[in-house]
Amino acid sequence: MLNLPRWQTIVIAGITLLSALFALPNLLPASVLQHLPQWYATSRINLGLDLRGGAHFLLEADLRSVLTERLTNLSDAVRAELRKQQVPFRDVAVEAGKNLVVTLRDEANRSKALEAIRAVDPALALSGSGDTIRVAYSEQELAKRKKEVIDQSIEILRRRVDETGTLEPTITRQGDERILLQVPGIKDTGDLKRKINQTAKLTFHLVNEDLAATGQNIPQTVPPTTFLVPTREGMLELRRTNPKAWEDIQAANPRLSPEQICRRYQPQCLPVLKRVVVGGEDLDDSKATFEQQQGGRPIISFTFNSAGGRAFCNATRNNIGKRLAIQLDGEIISAPVVQSAICGGSGIITGSFTTQQTQEQSLLLRSGALPATLTIIQESTVGADLGADAIQAGTVAALVGTLLVAIFMFVAYGPVFGGFANLAMLVNLLMVFAGMSILGASLTLPGIAGLVLTAGLAVDANVLIYERVREEKALGRSPFSALATGYEKAMSAIIDANLTTLIAGLLLFGFGSGPIRGFATTLTLGIITSMFSSTIFTRMLLSVWVRWRRPTELVI
Amino acid sequence: MWKPVRLFNFKKKFDFLAQRRAALIISTLINVVSIVGVFTLGLNFGIDFKGGIAIQAKAKDGTAELDQLRNIVGNLGVGEVSLQEFGDPSTVLIRVQRQEGDNQCVAGAQRVMQKTAGQGWQVKPGAAGTGDVEFTSPTALDSVNWRDAVSRAGLTLQERQLPRGSTNTATIDMSVEQRAEWCQQVAIKLVEDAIGSNYELRGTESVGPKIGDELMRGGIYAVIATMFAIAIYVWVRFEWQFAVGALIAMLHDVISTIGIFVLFQLDFSLTALAAVLTIAGYSINDTVVIFDRVRENMRRYKKMPLIDLLNHSVNETLSRTLMTSATVFVAVAALVLFGGPVLHSFSIAMLWGVIVGAYSSVWVACAGLVYLGLRADQLRPVEDKADKGGDTEKAEA
Repeated sequence: MLNLPRWQTIVIAGITLLSALFALPNLLPASVLQHLPQWYATSRINLGLDLRGGAHFLLEADLRSVLTERLTNLSDAVRAELRKQQVPFRDVAVEAGKNLVVTLRDEANRSKALEAIRAVDPALALSGSGDTIRVAYSEQELAKRKKEVIDQSIEILRRRVDETGTLEPTITRQGDERILLQVPGIKDTGDLKRKINQTAKLTFHLVNEDLAATGQNIPQTVPPTTFLVPTREGMLELRRTNPKAWEDIQAANPRLSPEQICRRYQPQCLPVLKRVVVGGEDLDDSKATFEQQQGGRPIISFTFNSAGGRAFCNATRNNIGKRLAIQLDGEIISAPVVQSAICGGSGIITGSFTTQQTQEQSLLLRSGALPATLTIIQESTVGADLGADAIQAGTVAALVGTLLVAIFMFVAYGPVFGGFANLAMLVNLLMVFAGMSILGASLTLPGIAGLVLTAGLAVDANVLIYERVREEKALGRSPFSALATGYEKAMSAIIDANLTTLIAGLLLFGFGSGPIRGFATTLTLGIITSMFSSTIFTRMLLSVWVRWRRPTELVI
Repeated sequence: MWKPVRLFNFKKKFDFLAQRRAALIISTLINVVSIVGVFTLGLNFGIDFKGGIAIQAKAKDGTAELDQLRNIVGNLGVGEVSLQEFGDPSTVLIRVQRQEGDNQCVAGAQRVMQKTAGQGWQVKPGAAGTGDVEFTSPTALDSVNWRDAVSRAGLTLQERQLPRGSTNTATIDMSVEQRAEWCQQVAIKLVEDAIGSNYELRGTESVGPKIGDELMRGGIYAVIATMFAIAIYVWVRFEWQFAVGALIAMLHDVISTIGIFVLFQLDFSLTALAAVLTIAGYSINDTVVIFDRVRENMRRYKKMPLIDLLNHSVNETLSRTLMTSATVFVAVAALVLFGGPVLHSFSIAMLWGVIVGAYSSVWVACAGLVYLGLRADQLRPVEDKADKGGDTEKAEA
C-alpha cells in the first residue's frame, strides 16, 4: 500500500503542482501579475458582491400582461378576418393571460370560422364546441415568445445600466421569467434603479432638408421650428477623437441639450423639425431581418400600433424623398429616406447594412420600451466599506481558523505527521482556489466560512488514519506495516464521512442562491479535493518519507 | 523537534452505555423542547424566508440612537419594524416587515412623490379588489414625463399602462401581488429618506413576498431532501439497525440545532439553513467511525454482550471522536470570534452542531443500537476490502 510505483508519485506530485499553478494568480500581488501573460493573470476567483460591494436585483417580467396584450391584438385581427370572410359572430373576447373566446351567431358556420382563424395564424391552437371557439397560442409559441421577451429585456437592461460602459454588469436569465442583474462596485443604487426604470426616449422627426441642403454642418442660425441633433456616428467619432469633450458631456449637470452639444463640440449634426412625427411608445416591435428579393440584403423591419401607424402613414405620404430622422436619447441613430408612403403599420429600413448593423439598429429602435414590466422582487445592496469589513472579518477568521487547526495537528501528531497533515490542508486549500478559478466561481463571505470548515474537516481524515496507525503500532506492528494498515482501515470511514457531507453540500448548491451558493461551492469543492489531499497526497508523502528515513520506530 | 502529545489518551475505560437511560431522557427532552419551542416561541426567521427589508446603517456622528431611530422608522407607516445594534455601537440593523401592498403603502408612496416630485402630488388606491394606483399630478404631463415622474416612487411602467396625451391623473393598473412587490421599494425609499441625513447607508436587502414564500418552501424541501438522501446512503452502507441509529442521531442533531435557534432567537436565514444542512451531513461523520468499529468488533468478539461491545468500541475510538470534533471546533470557533456579525448565527449553530454531533454518536446512535436489539448474526456477510482486513486480524488475534 505504501510502495507507490514511481509513476504514481509523479502523477500525484504533478496534480498538486498544477493546482498550485492555477491557484497562484489569486495569491500574487498585482505588481507581479502584470508581468505575467494575461490569460494566466486574469484566471482568478471573482469576489462575490457581498465582499466586493455592489448591487444585486432579481427582476420578474410580467409575462401575463404581455400575453394579454398580444391576445388583444390577435382579437382585432380575428375580428377583421371573420368580417372579411363574412362569418357572423356575436363576440370575440380576451380571457386575460389565457386565450380568446369567439362566439358565433350560428353553429353552422363553425368550419368556415375555423378556417378564417387559421388564415390569421396557422399555428394557433383551436378548441371548444358548438358556437364557441377557444383560440390559444401553442405551447411552443408561448415558450418562444417568453424567451424573446426575456432576451430583449436583458439587452435593453444592459444598454440602460451600462450606458457609460464602465460598470461591468452581469445580467442573466433565471428560470422562465426572471432576470438577475448584478452590478459590482456601484455606489448609488437609487441611480441604478432610476436607470432600470428610465426609458430611452425615441422619436421620429422629419429632416429640415432646405437647411441640410446648404451643406453647413452647424448653421449659424436655425428657424424656430428646427433644432440641431448630433448623429450617433458623430458622437462616437467625438468620443474617439476628443474623449475629454465626451466626458464633459456625460458629466454636465444639468444635461446639455442636443443643440448645445452641436454648437459647443461640433460633432456631425442634422437639422430636424421639432415636431414629433411619431413617438417610440407607439412602436410595437423592430427586428433585424433580410430582404425577400434582391439577394436578401440585411434590413430592419418595424411595426407600429394603430395610432402610430396612422401618424406614420400621414407623414410618409406627404414627404416622399425626404429623410426621416430617428432620434434616440438626443442622438440620431439613423435617417433613412422615405421611399414611399408607409401605411398599414409596418415598414422596413433598407440601406447598405451589415447583419451586425441591422441587429444593432433594431435593438436601438426597440430600446425605447421594455417588452414587459419588470418588478424588483429581491434586492441586495452592499456598500463598498461593508464589503471591505466582510473581507477583513473573513480573512482574519480564515487565517486564525486554519492556524489553530495547524497548531492542533502539530501538537497532537508531532512535526512529521502533523506537518504532513498540515501540508495536505494547505494543498487542499490551494486545490479549492484552483477549482474556483477554473470554474469561474465567486468567493462570498459564507464561502470563506466554507473554506474554514473545510480546513477543519479535511484534517479529520488524517486524524482517522493517524489514530488507526497508533493502534496498529500499539499492537506491535512494524512502522511500515502500521502505516499501511492505518491507511487501509481508515478508508471506509473517511469515504462515508465525506460522502454524507458531500450530499448536504450538493443539495445546498442546488437549492441556494447568491452567497449561500458560495458556501456550498467551497464546501463541496473542499470535500472532493480533500479526498485527494488528505489520503492520496499524504500517502505519497509518507511513502517517500518512509523510503528516505527508513524509521525503526514511528513517532506519532 | 517535539514529541506528539496524546491529547485525548484516557487510561480509564468509561462505561458510556450505563448512562443510556439518562441520555435517552435528556435527548428526548431537548428534542421535545426544541419542537415545542418552534411552535410556541417560534423561529426568528430572517427576511430571506419571511420577506421584508433589512437596512444596515452607520451613524455619521458615532453612536446609533436606537430609541430615536425606532421612533422615526416606526412612524413611517411601513408596518412592524425592529432595530438592533449590529457589530458595533455605531451600526444598526433596521428590519422592516414585508409589505402587503395595503393603503398605508399608497399613502407612503404619496409622501415619496411629494418629497421627490413636488408638493402637489397625490397618490390614491384605485378600485377595490385590484392593485391599481391613481396618481394625480399638479400639472398636466405627457406620457414620457409620466413615466419619469412615477419612477421616482420606484415604479417601472410600460407603454400600455401610461395615459394617452397630456393629463393630470393616471391610473396605473397593477395586480395586488405586483403592488405588494412595489411597496417594498416604497418602504425602502421612506426609510432611507427618513434616516439618510444622519446615517450612512451601508447595505440594503429586500426580499419581496413572492421570493420569501419560494425560499421558505425551497428551504423545507432542501432539508427534507438532504436528510432523505443521507438516509438512503446510510441504508445502503449499513445494516438497518445501524442505519436507524445513525438517522435518529442525525434527526436529533438537526432538531436540537433548530432548538438553539429558538432558544437564543438567532436569525434563521439562508446561512442558518446552510448550517443545518451541513450539520445533517457532519452528524454522520463521528457515527460512522464508531459504527465501523462496532461492526469490526462484532465479527471479532462474537460472544461479547452488546453493551460491553459498544462500550469497548466507543472507548477504542474515543480519542479520534474527540480529535476530529476538536479540529472542526477550533476552526468554527475562529468563525465565531472573528467572522463578523453576518456569520454569527451560522457559526454559533455550527459550534453547537460539532458538540452535539459528538454527543449523539455515542449516546443516541450507539444507545439506539441497544434499544434496536442488534445481534451479531444480523451482520451482513463480509464484502468490502476494509472488512476483510478485520478478518485476517481476527486470525492473528
